[in-house]
Amino acid sequence: MKCNLGSLAVGLGAMLMAHAVAAQDNVVKFGLTEYTTHSRTNGISGIGVPPGADAKTGNATTVIFVYERMLTPNIGAEFVLGVPPKIEAKATGTVAFLGNDVLDARIVAPTFFVNYHFGSSGDTWRPYLGAGVNYTKFVRIKSTLADDVKMSDSTGWAVQGGIDYALNKEWSLFASVAALKVKSKVVASGATVLQTSIEFRPIVYSLGVAYHF
Amino acid sequence: MRSVQPWRLSLVVALLLAGCGGGDPEVPGSGSPSGAPTAKATFTAVVSFGSSESDVGSYAPATSLAGNGTAPYFGGKFTTNSATGAVWVENIATSLGVLVTPAEVGFAGSSVKCPAAGLGAPNSCTAYAQGGARVTDPNGRGHAGGALTVPIVTQIDNHLARFGSFKSSDLVLLVGGVNDLLDQFETFAATAAQVQAQAAAGEITADQANLLIFAAQSDAQGAMKQAAIELAGYVRTKIIANGGTYVAVVTLLDLASTPAGQSAPAAARVVFSDLSRIFNLWLRDGLTGQPVQIIEAFDIYNAAVAAPAKFGFVDVTVPACDPAKISAITGGRIADGSALFCNSTPGAPYNGMRAGADATTTLFADGVHPTTGGHKYFSNTFMQQLKSFGWI
Repeated sequence: MKCNLGSLAVGLGAMLMAHAVAAQDNVVKFGLTEYTTHSRTNGISGIGVPPGADAKTGNATTVIFVYERMLTPNIGAEFVLGVPPKIEAKATGTVAFLGNDVLDARIVAPTFFVNYHFGSSGDTWRPYLGAGVNYTKFVRIKSTLADDVKMSDSTGWAVQGGIDYALNKEWSLFASVAALKVKSKVVASGATVLQTSIEFRPIVYSLGVAYHF
Repeated sequence: MRSVQPWRLSLVVALLLAGCGGGDPEVPGSGSPSGAPTAKATFTAVVSFGSSESDVGSYAPATSLAGNGTAPYFGGKFTTNSATGAVWVENIATSLGVLVTPAEVGFAGSSVKCPAAGLGAPNSCTAYAQGGARVTDPNGRGHAGGALTVPIVTQIDNHLARFGSFKSSDLVLLVGGVNDLLDQFETFAATAAQVQAQAAAGEITADQANLLIFAAQSDAQGAMKQAAIELAGYVRTKIIANGGTYVAVVTLLDLASTPAGQSAPAAARVVFSDLSRIFNLWLRDGLTGQPVQIIEAFDIYNAAVAAPAKFGFVDVTVPACDPAKISAITGGRIADGSALFCNSTPGAPYNGMRAGADATTTLFADGVHPTTGGHKYFSNTFMQQLKSFGWI
């Protein structure tokens, strides 16, 4: 997947350079984000793990920074990065008695979108749709069940829909909803070795201000 | 942009896998040993480390007919003892044409190292395994009652002290962890029973009970992991590093289908099996990439219990040794029917066999140990694996 990301970056760079610089081609945004997960696992396997053992991940709130470069009057390339939120997993199923926060990690999730903005630059309301790719890395992983936990990085599609409300020529408010494909293989080595694959199925709600220049 | 050619990529992947002994490097225990010899050897010695199932008579003086530690002995091995009752280590040695005798014989504070030296066979006393021995803890099972229980780490040290190193013509056989398993399981089972009683009496909630049992299980697992990591470490740093060449490490047996295992509640039996699995996982992890062979023995009892006739057994549930007879023979000293004191010689006054039990067609001598027939089954199975390694 690194090859894919590399080629994407190269392609994006070429697109950026190909476009002549014009007024208000850049947008920076700052917003609040609610990262909600709707996780599914393939079950938890390992010696000593009772059948029906499972886990579910929770939600987190964080702040995001967005840079969007308009490539044409309607198409923009957007890069989103948030302060890594902490996602906790609680035990469910036959091991629900183990309680909340059996595993937690901070997620570093840079996301690229190519957005299509409806209408034109003078409009007060401008909805947009975007599609792209999300890369998620799990850091500061901790578990009450194992002293050594590894979670694989995730690369997957990302889609979003949003709307901009222009306050004046430079400032606007935005709201967006994004869905991501985030999947990680977990190997937790304590006394026993637990394995699972978590699909986080995040829906990300964001709200914030944008500055156009 | 350069493209990565698929064949080149797969070659890199293949090399990476070859380098780490296969498996997923992020998943402990998923690899395997590599680099053990593949050529046939002419063995000059069988060097055996372990505990009761490999013990070739360390505690014979405890079964002195005269009762004072002197020969003749009516027992001494953890099986159905008789003039022909050999344990698997002896069976393998006999097949290879070498003699193996106990490295140390004694009980209750006095012992003799290499008694065979006095009989003109000073190089034969390479059977270090002792009943009750743990991997590292010198205070093994039965130690307080007089058993030597020299731990495996010291067994290996004793071999190095006597012979200096291992020879490339030594067949090194190692079985460890059984007594660590029995200790951990007993502790777990006692805690679980107590917790369940508390829950039944309404003193704690079901969730609290589950948490306490989970903690007890995790503790036992952690202890088995530690024992396995230590054992694998001794194989690397003491055996391989000192010239061990033909080194076969036997995985820990699943004892759930033994009479002792069958007497435990079903939920506890699962834990019993899992503790063996945990040990084997970390043992395999510690031996990944090492030039040894692993003899798979986890299911050896289970296989015979599942299909007795296939292996020549008629009875795979009831121990062949009779606790009442053994208690009478030992003047009430031994109440648990331990095979160490069980003799199968027909007509002998010290015969401790259950009426009608046969030492070759019954699998178990006592709660966990095999009969003479069981040991033959063990050695046959292990010999097949030695053949599959190309060693014999």
